Amino acid sequence: MELFASQLLNGLSLGSLYALFGIGFGLVFATMGILNAAQGCYATWAAIIALAAAESLGLPFPLIILAAVLGGGVVAIGVDQLGFQPLRARKVDMLGALITSIAFWMILDSLAGFATGQQSLSFPAWSYPGYMLTTNPIPLPAMQIISISTLIVITVAMHYMIAHTRLGSAIRAVGWNPVAASLGGVNSRTIILLTAALAGAISGLAGLLGGVLTSNVSFTLGQSLMLKGFAAVVVGGYTDVRGTAIAGLLLGVLEVFCGQYISTALRDGFTYSLLLLFLLVRPQGLFGSRGFIRA
Amino acid sequence: MTTFRKIVSAGLVSAGMLIGGTLGMTSAAMAIDPGTYKIGWVADRTGVVAFAGVSYAQGGQLAVEEINASGKLGDGVKLEIVEREGASEPARSIQGYNQLVADREIIATACCIFSGIAGALKPIAKNNGVPLVFYGATMPNLPELPLIYNVTSLPGVQEVALSKYLVEVLKPKTVAYFVLADNEAFQQRYKASREVFEAAGAETVGVATALGHDTDFTAQATQLIALKPDLIMVYVTQIPAAGFIQAVRQRGWEGHMATNEAISPIAVWKKIGEALAGVPFSVAFTADTAETPPAKAFVENYRKKFGADPDVYAAQGYTAVQLIAQGLEKLQGKPTREQLAEAMASLNTIENDVFGGIKLVDGQLITDKNNFVAWTREGKIAPWKP
Amino acid sequence: MEFLSDLWAVNRITVAYAMVNAFFALSCYAVLQAGFLSFSTVTFAAIGGFLGAQMVIHGYALPLVFLASGVAGTVSALLVALVFLRLSSHWMALASLALVLITRVVVLNAPALTGGVMGLSVPMALPMEWLTALLAIAMICFWALYNSWFGIASRVLREDPSVAACMGVDLRKVQFTAFGISGFVGGLAGVLLALLLQYISPDTYFISIAFTMIAATVLGGSHHWLGPILGAAVYTVLPIASQAVLPHVQDVAAGVVLLLIMIFLPRGLIDPRAFRLRRAARGAK
Repeated sequence: MELFASQLLNGLSLGSLYALFGIGFGLVFATMGILNAAQGCYATWAAIIALAAAESLGLPFPLIILAAVLGGGVVAIGVDQLGFQPLRARKVDMLGALITSIAFWMILDSLAGFATGQQSLSFPAWSYPGYMLTTNPIPLPAMQIISISTLIVITVAMHYMIAHTRLGSAIRAVGWNPVAASLGGVNSRTIILLTAALAGAISGLAGLLGGVLTSNVSFTLGQSLMLKGFAAVVVGGYTDVRGTAIAGLLLGVLEVFCGQYISTALRDGFTYSLLLLFLLVRPQGLFGSRGFIRA
Repeated sequence: MTTFRKIVSAGLVSAGMLIGGTLGMTSAAMAIDPGTYKIGWVADRTGVVAFAGVSYAQGGQLAVEEINASGKLGDGVKLEIVEREGASEPARSIQGYNQLVADREIIATACCIFSGIAGALKPIAKNNGVPLVFYGATMPNLPELPLIYNVTSLPGVQEVALSKYLVEVLKPKTVAYFVLADNEAFQQRYKASREVFEAAGAETVGVATALGHDTDFTAQATQLIALKPDLIMVYVTQIPAAGFIQAVRQRGWEGHMATNEAISPIAVWKKIGEALAGVPFSVAFTADTAETPPAKAFVENYRKKFGADPDVYAAQGYTAVQLIAQGLEKLQGKPTREQLAEAMASLNTIENDVFGGIKLVDGQLITDKNNFVAWTREGKIAPWKP
Repeated sequence: MEFLSDLWAVNRITVAYAMVNAFFALSCYAVLQAGFLSFSTVTFAAIGGFLGAQMVIHGYALPLVFLASGVAGTVSALLVALVFLRLSSHWMALASLALVLITRVVVLNAPALTGGVMGLSVPMALPMEWLTALLAIAMICFWALYNSWFGIASRVLREDPSVAACMGVDLRKVQFTAFGISGFVGGLAGVLLALLLQYISPDTYFISIAFTMIAATVLGGSHHWLGPILGAAVYTVLPIASQAVLPHVQDVAAGVVLLLIMIFLPRGLIDPRAFRLRRAARGAK
């Protein structure tokens, strides 16, 4: 029973990373229609920037989180303005944006390798709460609780913003049709910048938490988040962050239990088959609405 | 002078010239012609095992520098490494290797961390008659004289030795294993080790697995701790090993663990720290336990050139070049690839030996020293005491 | 003369790579030109590649091997099409990415067929004559297709599906045909790569090749069949050129070049519309 609970917690913590990353990825996909192959790099670079800030400035943990969020946002804005904006001006479709994101993926991953000296680095022990909150009845690492709570907070905040505020309506309007949105009085340019920054910041947060939890800050961090985060987006439905959050948690738990009780070799097979099943049977995901498909 | 004296002195002079000339020719003919001889090197400076790839390449470069500086191959003879980046990807490595081999100035080649890529490059080397030295692939039975060599000390033998030692010293009744599911080399090491433990009566209570690109190991740590084994054997690569050991210690489990040389580089200590202390592993070389003069000189020179301590990977890269150079030493005139291959095939050992006791058997390097070491709390590697 | 033969020896393998990559790019193009973004070429290549490799290992003749790989690719493509064509474009891209991920898991877990994690060693090298002949045949076929009803219909379909339907184009027929062609060429690409590398593993047909082949196709121009071939050539030579010019930052350099081309020539290097516009402008003077 304790093992079950312990593994459940492990699964939820792992899943919260996938979900956070997925929220960022889904935001770009839903509002800008871009399948962003470079999203994983935002996570990696946010972690690298936060690590550099922590080591050189000796920041406490909350400021490290801030550094990661800002770092992720800045990198995302950079990629958007340098890569995607010129294409928008020419009305190039999803394909062109995808190729541009692939180009950035190559550049950013390679630079990340240089930044970490081709090693896998980790956050120094003093910079994050690495202790256990308790060990009875099960070990409760503080970082896992932080991960899960962060996901809940971000999900609630994002959902509220998108569904119930003017800003959220503006984002949805620009996602549907930027020209029509500007006719309605929305500054598309600002909204796009804001959306890119938000997506980068949230994925960056996932990168930071992942880097701390797994003691691995390197280009592989973003890659592994990318593959699983994208699954969370598909299963959950990219139009609703709650769906992505729940799907991410579900995938994390599934992964841990599959590894424990069945077999690791087939573990990824389960995840991706589930993914394919959802795509075929219920493409809008658990919570998405069918109508939201760009023409 | 009388005619007789003229003849005698002419004869003496000619004899002297003949002898002197022959001696002179012999000492000149003992070395290869002056020039630059190129060694083709498929490097893995980027990609998933770049931390090791960089070490291997640096070890090789140090060897080339030392050999050139000492002039032991002859006057005006220089070695040069020509690198092609393989990034641990088969397609790029194969493409790069083909380019190296097509360059006639390249007289020998070195490569490979992944056994799969090693297996792919071997037929290319054989078809082109160019000597190939593997510096990192751990698959057994790779070498084929006279062209294919492997200077990686095979882990299988070390694994069995370490397992037997642990059986003697710890007498575990239950053992759990953490293994990579998608890595053939580690699967074989784990099986070899498991055989030893089971033969000694230790029961296998559980096996947790991970995939090569995983980054989170808390689930596997939780799984194995719950089984309360006497000993956990860790057969995975560097990132999983470091992550797993840290996760286990963080959860408060103080029991015995043992692993492999993947945690020996100093970068792993810097990353994980004290959690690694006291976890034994078997490794062919470490800077901290270097005792013999060649080993100490190697550590000294590596520190001077690269500002860091060499790890076992650097030692292997260094040895690969030493093997090629030792082959070249035996040749004269303008060496061809075939001649170099024959010369290398005739070697029984490598003179500049940083491992402390090695033999070359059928192209495979064998170390007979078993170093059972572990990290100490101060961040140095020392022989392990249970 | 020796200089020329040396030059050929060093670059022979690069030319062969560019030609094999051209097959991958053509397979991607077949689906792109009908208006879909799909990474499924990798799956078709994996099926063709492992099947072909096994056939070569068991001693079947080359013509049979190529035919079998192509047919296997076509069959899998039609199955994939059956399932994917119900999805809209966004979903299809995601679904094809998921398919690539599943392909790797299947390859890893079927060691009897695919050698599992150790991969398969292919005992035969790729004969250049076969490669050249096959590429020539492919080029002729694509040229013929470009000017046929299929070519015109797919271009209209890509521009605007509703207009195409109004004009009486049988959408389903065009889409299935596109996938079928992609499957055949993809399966062939897979077995050609297997013969070229003489070693395939689960990582051979995975994300890296999926992304780079799509990039090569779009780079070369996804609006004309010459585009993928040129794109594949550029994409193959680019890393080698970067390594020669900027050895330690070659990956970054390759990415930057790709980025610049996408920004300045988003329709690719070979763009029929640009040619037509320029010709019209010249004619108007």
